[in-house]
Amino acid sequence: MALMERELIRERPLEGRLVRLRARDLADEPLLWKWINDPEVTQNLMARYPYSHAAETEWLKTQTAPGYGEAGLGIETLVEGRLIGNIGLHRASAEDRRATLGIMIGEGDFRDRGYGTDAMRTLCRFGFAMMNMRRIELDVLATNPRAFHVYEKVGFQLEGTRREALWKFGRWIDIHMMGLHEGELRWD
Amino acid sequence: MGLTASTPLVGQLVRLRARELDDEPRLHELFNDPELTQYLAIRYPLSHAAEKEYLEGASKSVSYERVDLSIVTLADDLLIGGIDFRNVSPEDRRAALGMAIADQAYWDRGYGTDALRVMCRFGFEQMNFHRIELDVYDTNPRARHVYEKVGFKHEGTKREGLYKFGRYIDIHIMGLLEGELLTG
Repeated sequence: MALMERELIRERPLEGRLVRLRARDLADEPLLWKWINDPEVTQNLMARYPYSHAAETEWLKTQTAPGYGEAGLGIETLVEGRLIGNIGLHRASAEDRRATLGIMIGEGDFRDRGYGTDAMRTLCRFGFAMMNMRRIELDVLATNPRAFHVYEKVGFQLEGTRREALWKFGRWIDIHMMGLHEGELRWD
Repeated sequence: MGLTASTPLVGQLVRLRARELDDEPRLHELFNDPELTQYLAIRYPLSHAAEKEYLEGASKSVSYERVDLSIVTLADDLLIGGIDFRNVSPEDRRAALGMAIADQAYWDRGYGTDALRVMCRFGFEQMNFHRIELDVYDTNPRARHVYEKVGFKHEGTKREGLYKFGRYIDIHIMGLLEGELLTG
C-alpha cells in the first residue's frame, strides 16, 4: 500500500477518490428496491424474481449494522452525496481470513465512469487494513465483461471458470471465479 | 451400465441409503478421526448431541433440496461414509456434491469411485441435474484422482482459500456436466 493510501485510511477509512462507503438505513429502501427490480441491474446478478417492498425491507434490516460476518455498505458519491449502489464483504471465514465481495452500481448514470472501480478499491483496502482479511474473492458472469475488466484493473486474478453454472435468458452461462490477495490491490 | 430401474442407488461395491438415527455412534467415531477430517471442512470436535441433531434432520426428509445419504457396503452392509447434494439450484439444475469414505479400511479400494458414480448418475438420471460441482483441497490428491476418473474436470483453483494445520491451502473447484460421467 502506498504511503498516501496508508495516511488516507487512517483519516477516512471508507473514502476513496470518487465515493465514500457508508452504512445503509431503512430510509434507503425505496432506492434499493428500485435497483433490485431493474433488469439493467439484475441481468448481471443471480437475482431472478421480483422483490416486494416487504422482502427488500426484511433484507435491509439484516444490513443496517455492518460487521465482520456481513459487511454490506452503500456507495455514495463524494461530490453530490448521492447513493448510487451497494457493495459488501459477505460470508467471512475468520479461520481462512477470507470473504466474498459483491457490488452493484444501481444508478445507470454512474456506470463506466470509475465509481465502481473506486468503490472496489476502497472496500478491498478496508477489508485488508481494517478487517484483517487476507483474501477477497468474487464471482462474475461470463456475460459481464465490463465488470470483469474492472476487477482485473483492481488486481483480481482469474482463478477458474465454472462451466454452465447458471441458466438465464434461455442459455447456459459460465461463472468466472476471481481472487485478490493482500498486497495485490492496485490503485493505478 | 446394465443397472435396472429399480436399483438406482446400488453400485458394484456399495449402495446408498437414507440416513438413520442409529448411524450415530459409528458416524460420531469416524468423523472425530483427524486422519479423516484433515481432508474435510471440519475443524472442531463433534459432540454426540450435534451428530444426533444432524441425523434427525438428514433422516427425516430426502428431497430435491437435500439428498444426504449413507454409503454402505454391498458385501456386509457396513456403514463406511456419506455422500450428499447441497446448494441445489433448480433454475440452474445444479448441485454441489460432498463425499467422505470415513472408514479408512475402505480407502483406495474403489468404494469412493463406486459411490460417486452411483450418486452422480442418480443426480443426472433421477433429479435432472445439468451440472454437479465440488471442492477438493490441494492436500488431498487421492480424492482429486477419483473425481477425475469419474469425469470431473478441474475448473479452477482458489489460491490459498483454506487455512489449516498452520498453512494456507489451495482449494480446487471441479465440475461435471450431464453427459460427462465416465462409467469406467
